[in-house]
Amino acid sequence: METLDISLARMALLYGLCLLPWSLLWLIGAQLSRDIGLSILRMTLQLGLVGIYIKTLFTLNHPWLNAAWILIMLIVADFSILRRAGLRVRYFLLSCFTAVAVSILLSTAYLVVLIIQPAHFYDARYIVPLAGMILGNCMQGNVIALERFFSAVRKNQNEYTTYLMLGASRWEALLPYFRQAVKAAINPSIANMATMGLVSLPGMMTGQILGGSDPWIAVKYQIAIMICIFTSTTLATIINLKLSLPIAFNDFDMLNEQLFADCNR
Amino acid sequence: MSDIIRFDEVSVTVQDKTLLTQVSFTLRAGEKAVLCGKSGSGKSTILKTLLGMYSLAAGKIYFDSQPLTSKSVQSVRRCTAYIGQEPILGADTVRNALLLPFQFKSHRHLQPSDHQLKQVLQRLQLPTELLSRDCAGISGGEKQRLTLARGLLLDKTVYLLDEVTSALDQESKQAVFEVFADPQLTVLAVAHDTEWLERSQPVFEMHAGRLTQTR
Repeated sequence: METLDISLARMALLYGLCLLPWSLLWLIGAQLSRDIGLSILRMTLQLGLVGIYIKTLFTLNHPWLNAAWILIMLIVADFSILRRAGLRVRYFLLSCFTAVAVSILLSTAYLVVLIIQPAHFYDARYIVPLAGMILGNCMQGNVIALERFFSAVRKNQNEYTTYLMLGASRWEALLPYFRQAVKAAINPSIANMATMGLVSLPGMMTGQILGGSDPWIAVKYQIAIMICIFTSTTLATIINLKLSLPIAFNDFDMLNEQLFADCNR
Repeated sequence: MSDIIRFDEVSVTVQDKTLLTQVSFTLRAGEKAVLCGKSGSGKSTILKTLLGMYSLAAGKIYFDSQPLTSKSVQSVRRCTAYIGQEPILGADTVRNALLLPFQFKSHRHLQPSDHQLKQVLQRLQLPTELLSRDCAGISGGEKQRLTLARGLLLDKTVYLLDEVTSALDQESKQAVFEVFADPQLTVLAVAHDTEWLERSQPVFEMHAGRLTQTR
């Protein structure tokens, strides 16, 4: 069973559907016309490019090329995590890269090598989309964890120093904020697993069913990817936060404000 | 009497702003010193610098004859009780607030009994029923005395007090003074209160980050 292609003419017709929300938003004066136009244009261009290089990756299917692609994804993801978390990239890039790379590589390798077992472990058809999906979700978790953790410490400086003055080690004094940040980061993936299939059909499963896969195979892949997303998000957030501590705090356990993007210096 | 705290030409600068300039003083064990001066003159900065909250631009600090370093700051914090202007109880009930420091590894072995908790409250003119009260309903003055109670439970010998009697009535203030009458305790207090000034020796005055001894 093959997926039905959509011709260019019908794609143009598809874009026409956007006119409905666009005109409604224009009528209520939402002033979003420019943003909507730009977003649709960006989506089209970005996915067009993804189509080109994924097709190239699949055709060449070379282990080093696949590895290079994953490396680029990791670096782009790290920049995005740090910027969105309000942290200065030059201080945290190495710690963030290490945390995300270790967790993504571990969970992707586990899934591909031990569970799916394709003829070649580096097969682009498996490794590229799976690593990409895991990374995308893991990225969200890391943004939440870093942002929540550092804003909680900054907001509760008085409380944090009180813990230190009461004899807590740096780790003991930071643990309440650390715990909250990790929980906030992994809660979405726990909630996603709990409601999976009830609220909506998950994207990967839908894609596989549309692609002609047996629904049972699609279900198994969906479960596999959810477990890997949960594992890698938990691992990456914990490692990322842990590695950021010696960078963010000085030898006297005080937070260095200069590491934050909103600090003037 | 041995030196407990010694500031030797200490200067502190934060983001190009000078907070302390060449501050030097010595405090011996058992002394009750007071720091006075206008708001923003650097009184609280002295207490916080001793606890490692600010980095030194110049000079040296000694605590119990040991230079203040990233390693020794832990023992300074262990021996010292810092009671700020806005004390944080950090727990839901008063009992849990008093027991908070005993959750940490460094104090776990000192876990006080219920009897000790009640005793320390009585010593500070606080009712023992307070133990089961929610921290949300505690007044500023009670909070300050509860943080002081934590220090006493931890057997701290050095007290860094930042306007600690500002929210207290005369009776509660007397209870606090009686606690610090103990010759074993060393006190460095930021205060404007004339009673503190009368009871303290030495008296230091701060002016724009500079310290002078007035008595």
